[in-house]
Amino acid sequence: MGMILNVDGLKKSYGAVEAVKGISFQVGQGEIFALIGPNGAGKTTTLRIVATLLTITQGTISLLGHDLRKNPEKFRENISYLPEEAGAYRNFKGRDYLKFMANFYAGTPDAAAAYVKRAEEIAGLGDRLASKVGTYSKGMVRKLLLARALMTRPALAILDEPTSGLDVINSLEVREIIKRYAREGISVLLSSHNMLEIEFLSDRVALIDKGLILDSGTPQELKSKYQAPNLENVFRSALR
Amino acid sequence: MKNFMNLFRKEVKELLSKQLIVSLLLMMGMFYFIGQMTKKEAARAAAAQKISVFDRDKSDLSGRLLAGLQAMNFKIEAVTAATTEAAVNAVRETDTSLLIVIPQGFGDSMTRLEAQPVETYSFLRNFSVMGARTSAIVRAVLEAINKVLSDETLKARIPEISPDRLKNPIKSKDFVIIKSRIAEGSASAVAGFVTSQTVMIPVILMMIILYSSQMVISAIAMEKQNKTLETLLTVPISRTSIVSAKMLASGLVGLLSAVIYMIGFRSYMSGFTGDMAQMPGVSQVVQKLGLTLNANALIILGASLFFAILCALAMATILGVLAEDFRSAQSLIMPMLILIMIPYFVSMFADVKTMSFPIKLFILANPFSHPFLAMQNIFLENYRAVALGVLYMAVFFGIMVYIAGRIFSTDKVLTMKLRWGKKKVVL
Repeated sequence: MGMILNVDGLKKSYGAVEAVKGISFQVGQGEIFALIGPNGAGKTTTLRIVATLLTITQGTISLLGHDLRKNPEKFRENISYLPEEAGAYRNFKGRDYLKFMANFYAGTPDAAAAYVKRAEEIAGLGDRLASKVGTYSKGMVRKLLLARALMTRPALAILDEPTSGLDVINSLEVREIIKRYAREGISVLLSSHNMLEIEFLSDRVALIDKGLILDSGTPQELKSKYQAPNLENVFRSALR
Repeated sequence: MKNFMNLFRKEVKELLSKQLIVSLLLMMGMFYFIGQMTKKEAARAAAAQKISVFDRDKSDLSGRLLAGLQAMNFKIEAVTAATTEAAVNAVRETDTSLLIVIPQGFGDSMTRLEAQPVETYSFLRNFSVMGARTSAIVRAVLEAINKVLSDETLKARIPEISPDRLKNPIKSKDFVIIKSRIAEGSASAVAGFVTSQTVMIPVILMMIILYSSQMVISAIAMEKQNKTLETLLTVPISRTSIVSAKMLASGLVGLLSAVIYMIGFRSYMSGFTGDMAQMPGVSQVVQKLGLTLNANALIILGASLFFAILCALAMATILGVLAEDFRSAQSLIMPMLILIMIPYFVSMFADVKTMSFPIKLFILANPFSHPFLAMQNIFLENYRAVALGVLYMAVFFGIMVYIAGRIFSTDKVLTMKLRWGKKKVVL
């Protein structure tokens, strides 16, 4: 499996506060790589840096050979980012929002239409796509945003708590969608508090705490190493 | 360019909401309605004033006095009553707002040049601006009475000289000079005419700048509130394009809002000021003095206004980043409002040239002062000052855009927040 994302010695400081203290990891093509850790561990900061939202204090990040610092715009062409607390334009109809976002990535109107069609399938919102986003439930908005993130088949999808705010059924659907798109070749970098979700979705996991990666490996490897029945116990053991 | 246009269309669509259109149209309709009402009231006030007269003297002189008042565009309604009290009661039932009581023996007293008071009764039926005109009518009537009576007396005693020549032995011939141009006319009339013609310009200017700034601050604040900014910042479009699309869309919608607002406001104001083009004589003097805005002057003024709007948009972009949500965006317009209000009032009530150096420097350092001052400078052919103002605004705009660009290219666009006394760090 070829690695498409390389994060090497990444550090991020906000003034005197060091949020990320030098982490390194790689994500392969079609791989789902998860960062798990408590609040304030540096997961979201790492995802935001890879998503080109925050600047790097030290270290390098490259995607498909494009250096983030040197060429952030080329970087953005190959990623899509779903923040934990994301919204869509409330005055837009669902379909219009998808069209608006598709136009940034599509070279032609036909390509944009194809992206929108794919997004409609992913979202599964049917006729509600003709309604304004302001009338959607939290779950519907999340599905719309996930569809937006995956419709262009980006090289890397960065998903921060992808099932945040969703009920059990919707969460299951979303996990299936993510798995399916990863099988089709999309790489996924995600973070979640939900260890069961991570165990179900991820090919590899990095345990992160206080800005440092404590350990990483496949869920099976980690469970064997720490002789734990699940990732929650793995994490607790790793912290000790 | 494709991505810029995509974002620009979205910005315009978001800003030009149904709520904005409806509120602007309602406001315009309201201004038009009030303007028409005021116009009617003003027309009524300007028409021949109806006054009631209780003539207790019935002398030749009082008869001639009433004829004189009629000749001076007063509509006389004679009151027949036994007493003054009865006359007041009779007029109270009518819509006349003034009763003049000419006392018995008035003619005889005047023949002997003995002053005898004429009683006036004003009926105040409302306290609006137009209602308060009664006092002006009283003054006008008394002046008219004095004129009629003094003319009569002078004519009787010195028939060979006209009363007007006796009362005003010196006549003046007034000239107004502006730079190298000279024209015959009254300075106060010319100043009044120019003020009436240009009074709207600072208001328009202020409205456009405020509306545009409000739009751009709100546009950024709404992105933050709706949690859409992060997603937008990760799509393949340059940060410069994001900033400029927001600024351009806000500028256009702000301009449109201001134009609609001003059409309504002008219709409202015309109710008070009437049609200025009908001012006789003055317009020719103004033309001769070059106090009209020709095409070149309008272009220069437009350039000054354009750069002021650009400065406002760039500053508002930076302020918008500080907003956490739509509500906090409303308070962030305050610094802009203060910066715009200072030159607005200075241009109306003071002359920058005569101010002390530190105050002058303070005024001129404010980029929004220049379009307000441009108008006066154009009239005074001081084009160098206008050009320097435009140049200053261009430099100021460049610096602001650089700062805005830097903010949008770094973490600050997400981490900068205006929190009095607190510093927030996002992890």
